[in-house]
Amino acid sequence: MDTFLAALFSGTSRGAIYALVALGLVIVWRGAGVVNFAQMGQAMFSTYIASTLIQNGNSYWVGFFVALFAGAALGAFLDILVMRPLSNKKKTELLSSESMRAAIPVIASLGILGVLQALAGIIWAAEERGFPAPAAQEGFTVAGSVMPFTSFDVFVISIVLITLTMTTIFFKKTGVGLAMRATALNQEVARLSGIRTNFTRTLSWAISGAASSLAGLLITPTSNLSPNTLDLVLIIGFTAAVVGGLDSPAGAVLGGFIVGLVISFVTFYLSPEDVFISILAVLLIVLIVKPRGILGGKDSRRV
Amino acid sequence: MLKIENLTTSFGSVIALDGVSMVAQESKITTVIGANGAGKSTLLRTISGLESPASGSITWEGQSIIDRKPEDIVRAGIAHVPEGHAVISELSVEENINMGSLFRRRINKSDVAASLDEMYQLFPRLQERRKQLAGTLSGGERQMLAISRALVSRPKLLLLDEPSLGLAPLVVEQIIDCVNTLCRSTGLTVLLVEQNANTALGVADHGILLALGKVVADRPAAELKADSTLRAAYLGY
Amino acid sequence: MSSTAKNPSIIRRSLRRTIFFIIAILAIGSTFEPYNQAQLAVVLIYFIGVLSVTILTGISGQISLGQGALMAVGGYSTALLMTNYSVSLWIAVPASIVGAGIAGALLGIAAARLSGPYLAGTTLVIALAIPTIANRFMSVFKGDEGLPVDVGYPPSWFTNLFGEPSYEEWQLYVALPFAAIALFFASNLLLSRTGRMWKSIRDHETAAALAGVNYSRQKIYVFIIASIFAGLAGALYGLRGLVGPSVYPVALSLTLLTAAVLGGIRSIFGAFIGTVIVVFLPDWIDLVLDNFELSEQVSNFMPALISSLLLILTVVINPAGVAGGHHHKHK
Repeated sequence: MDTFLAALFSGTSRGAIYALVALGLVIVWRGAGVVNFAQMGQAMFSTYIASTLIQNGNSYWVGFFVALFAGAALGAFLDILVMRPLSNKKKTELLSSESMRAAIPVIASLGILGVLQALAGIIWAAEERGFPAPAAQEGFTVAGSVMPFTSFDVFVISIVLITLTMTTIFFKKTGVGLAMRATALNQEVARLSGIRTNFTRTLSWAISGAASSLAGLLITPTSNLSPNTLDLVLIIGFTAAVVGGLDSPAGAVLGGFIVGLVISFVTFYLSPEDVFISILAVLLIVLIVKPRGILGGKDSRRV
Repeated sequence: MLKIENLTTSFGSVIALDGVSMVAQESKITTVIGANGAGKSTLLRTISGLESPASGSITWEGQSIIDRKPEDIVRAGIAHVPEGHAVISELSVEENINMGSLFRRRINKSDVAASLDEMYQLFPRLQERRKQLAGTLSGGERQMLAISRALVSRPKLLLLDEPSLGLAPLVVEQIIDCVNTLCRSTGLTVLLVEQNANTALGVADHGILLALGKVVADRPAAELKADSTLRAAYLGY
Repeated sequence: MSSTAKNPSIIRRSLRRTIFFIIAILAIGSTFEPYNQAQLAVVLIYFIGVLSVTILTGISGQISLGQGALMAVGGYSTALLMTNYSVSLWIAVPASIVGAGIAGALLGIAAARLSGPYLAGTTLVIALAIPTIANRFMSVFKGDEGLPVDVGYPPSWFTNLFGEPSYEEWQLYVALPFAAIALFFASNLLLSRTGRMWKSIRDHETAAALAGVNYSRQKIYVFIIASIFAGLAGALYGLRGLVGPSVYPVALSLTLLTAAVLGGIRSIFGAFIGTVIVVFLPDWIDLVLDNFELSEQVSNFMPALISSLLLILTVVINPAGVAGGHHHKHK
């Protein structure tokens, strides 16, 4: 029973972070038609910025908010610098095939990932460093026994839930949110409605950048920080997004919790070494049974 | 007034518009008719900035709008309702309409709400279905929605691409009537592309006949309607 | 498949390319220091792996980030055959491609349903998951420690004929025949009707389906062929000393993709140019950086920075790569 509770709690806390990563991927996929493999590289970069600020004597919260802002700015910058020129350039022979058009942004995002990791290595050296948590990482004591649930877990879950609610409200209730959804669903009709789609795409990158920076800030206290630490998080987040439905923000959140729990239960009941095989198994099962993901939409975009 | 001179648009080696010159007079309905593949849709898509022309000029209210982005052309007062009841199925009716006035929100917020109400008065059916997803609407309702989306941008020129496509005659009549009333009462300029020449010429002031990307006739609508030789040669009836 | 090697003029053309390739490598290799000979051997090995990306992505339009995992399959097959059954490398390496081919078929069956970013992400997960098997079955795969294997020493007939080569030179001579065979097959494939059919799938999936191409089955074939190339590359890569999870990291898959894109993802010549760039870039950067006083921290990450920047610049400025123009002449 204790193991079960521990697995459940740690899975929920981790799942919340994976939900955030998946949400970041879904926002850029829907808003700009790109699966951004550089996403956690961006998060790593902004977490390093936060870490440097904190090491230089600033408070945790200064680092926290500067990192979120830096994540958003970096996302927007990458879109303007790399992805926008790519999407405006569709007439050359190589890009004329459907499959290559899908492949090129993926390759570009891998290039971005490489650049960010190398830059982080050059700026901050490659060695691992710790990253502070804003809340205690010891378990609560209930009736004399230590529970597998910490104040930090509570912090993580509440901040993620707040973010997810705010994102939902933003997309559903605001004009800019509507413009972004319209751009994602039908760029031509959006442009004919006067929506500046270049801007909304950049905004998708910025919001996704901030969301993934948040994920980076929340996951590094338990994993340490190095240029490559967050690679695995990206892959887990990708799996979560596909499991829930790459087209569905709600699905991404659901997928995040599912994958978080799967990883946690595999770690507690089997062995940590089986985690990747089990992620692969979950991914393949979903892709075979429901290729669009659990909450995936009905739109005609091929998997 | 919209003035087009020597407009040529091509897709690779296919020339869709071949030196088209025409005008759309202010507060009048001008219709562009022609067979399938005559270049009618390309003409509208080039005006609204979705396609970039190889050569020629498009002048709107004395200014060239060539090489402007579609979103800027909407802001200049030209709204385009593309072919095929172009609405976003995954958004609700109200969201589809609001989409068209998003760019005016910062300038005039109360006007945005007012224009939504206007559309509901114009098409009461849309108000009944305001929370429904656009994908669940009938073809006629979708066309009304697409027109509403364009109208809330408060255009001076409305580009309508085959509003009758796939709709029952009664619905077509209703939509065409509506456009006609709008033009006569508010002074909206309309450029109507239709394959259904009879209906279009019945309501329009001026008619332009396109064939293989070229203008073959440019006359008052009534005159064009009466010309049975042209009709037989280019429209096949 | 049957049309692959029927046209004699295609075979002759591929054979000419291959012979030219062998002569060029031997000529260049003989002028090199042992260090650069070993580097050249790495070029040949990577070249085979990059060809697998060229076939998969450039010719059929599918993007895989899991080629490193397939290389691992080839490497482990060879190492197990050599250490457990004392099989000669000349038999173990060709045999290992059977394992890679089977893995590729399985992957292809899964991949036939996917495209674009879905395929890229899934193969990335595969690239991560496969090496963890090494730790799961410790007794067979020896976990992180891996299985030590190497190219050994040349047979006596070779030393009698050509004299005693250095170890590095021998690495080059072991890799060369395999690279030449790979080049010959890739060239045949690209020029053949099968290759053209795959290109048509890439360019117009719908049209290809209408023309009666069974496109799921063709996708699986492409995966099998590409996996055989990757497996061969992985087998030779392991023979540099060790077969273990650390030898086939995810970064290896990315390196292959980078090389293929830089050189020109649609051509064999491009694959070779890209491989040369990727392998020698760190050395060239060192040459340049020696003139500046830079800390180790900077110089360690310079190659990764430059090659990633080159990758981005290539896709943004000239997606057809270095050999982009070259390719058109051959069409």
